[in-house]
Amino acid sequence: MTRYEGVPELPDLIDAAEYDQHPDGGLIRLRISVTPSGVEILGDGMRPEALEALLESLEPDEIEQMWCG
Amino acid sequence: MLRDGQVGTCGVRRRTGDVLETATFASVMQHVDANERKPFYHFRPGGRSLTLAAPGCTFACGYCINHRISQYGRESSVAWNGQPIEPAEVVARAVAEDADICFSYTEPSLALELTEAVVALARPAGVRVMWKSNGFLTPEAVDRAAGLVDAVNIDVKAADTAAHRRLTGAPLEPVLDTVREFARRGVWLEITTPLIPGTSAAPEQLATIARTVASVGAQVPWHLVRFTPTYRMTGHDPTAPADLAEAVRIGHAAGLRHVYVERALGAEGRATRCPACDETVVRRGVWQLETSEIRAGRCARCDHPIDGRWN
Repeated sequence: MTRYEGVPELPDLIDAAEYDQHPDGGLIRLRISVTPSGVEILGDGMRPEALEALLESLEPDEIEQMWCG
Repeated sequence: MLRDGQVGTCGVRRRTGDVLETATFASVMQHVDANERKPFYHFRPGGRSLTLAAPGCTFACGYCINHRISQYGRESSVAWNGQPIEPAEVVARAVAEDADICFSYTEPSLALELTEAVVALARPAGVRVMWKSNGFLTPEAVDRAAGLVDAVNIDVKAADTAAHRRLTGAPLEPVLDTVREFARRGVWLEITTPLIPGTSAAPEQLATIARTVASVGAQVPWHLVRFTPTYRMTGHDPTAPADLAEAVRIGHAAGLRHVYVERALGAEGRATRCPACDETVVRRGVWQLETSEIRAGRCARCDHPIDGRWN
C-alpha cells in the first residue's frame, strides 16, 4: 500500500495564471525524470484526488505530498 | 468525563485510571519553512519556522487537504505516524537554524502540553512560538495558550453556526470567542477563511465573516484561501480567481486594511499597502518575502504605522 509522506517543498508545475483556463479544475501536469535511483514522477493538479489516483495506480511505495499550512 | 480506558472524541487522549494520557507529545514531521506559508504576513516576515504537527484535529472538515494526518483518531484508515518529541532537541534545532517554532497542519490546541514544554525552553532562547489553529478551544484552554504563543492564525470557516457545524462538526461561537480573546490578550492575530462552497464562499457569507473580523480589529490580516476539491468534497469546482477578487473587495468594504490571496491574484494579492499613502510596502513571492519598505513598524515613505510584529 502506498504511503504518503509530508515534505516541506515540491516544485509547482501549474501557475496561478492558468486557473481561469480550467474552471472545473481538470488540469493535471506531470514531469517524469530518470534519476540515479529510478524514475521520479512529479505531479501537480487542481483536484488532488485525481492526481493521487493516477500516481497510486503506478503502485509506488511512497508519494511525497505538501501539507497545507 | 471519560471512563477508565475510554478514548476521547478526537482520538488522541485516553483515561487510564486517574491519569489522562495524550498521544500529542509527538509530531508527524519536523521541517523548516517560511512564516509566510502558514500564513503569517505581518509576523516576522521573511522569518522561518520549524514546523511541528501532532496528529489529530478537533474538526472533521470535508475539504481538508491534510486529512491523512489531521483525521488520526477519527478515520480508521489514518495510521499513526507520529514520532515522540523531545522539546530540548526541537528548541536546539530552531536556535541552530535561526528559526521560530510553529504548530501547524493539524490542530495545535490538542498539543497544548507539548506547546507548554516547548515554550518553557524556547522563550529563554529567544525563539517565538506560533499556532495555526481552528480556534475551537475552551476559555480555559485559550487562557493557557494566550500566555504561551506569540502569534496565532485562526481559521474562520463559516458565517453562521449551522453551516460551521455542517462543515466541521462543531459550533462557530467558541471559535469567535477564541479570536476575540487572543486579540484582547495581545497575541498577534491573523485570520484565514477558505472559500468553501455552501459555507463561506457566497458574497453574503464572506461579508458577514469580514464584518466579524473587522469588529475584532481593522488591522487584523484576513487571508482568503482558494477551495480545492478533495477528500469528501470532490463534487465542487475550485474557487474562481474572480470570486477571490470579489472576496478581497468585500473585505476592504468591511473596513479591513489588509486582505490577502496567496496565489490566484498574483503578486498584487500578496502585497501589503500602506493604509495612509497606499504605496506597496511589502512585496511577497508565493511563500517568501521579497522586499519590505517597513522601517521600525512604519511606512518608509510616509511614516504611517503598519500593524504587525515586524521583528
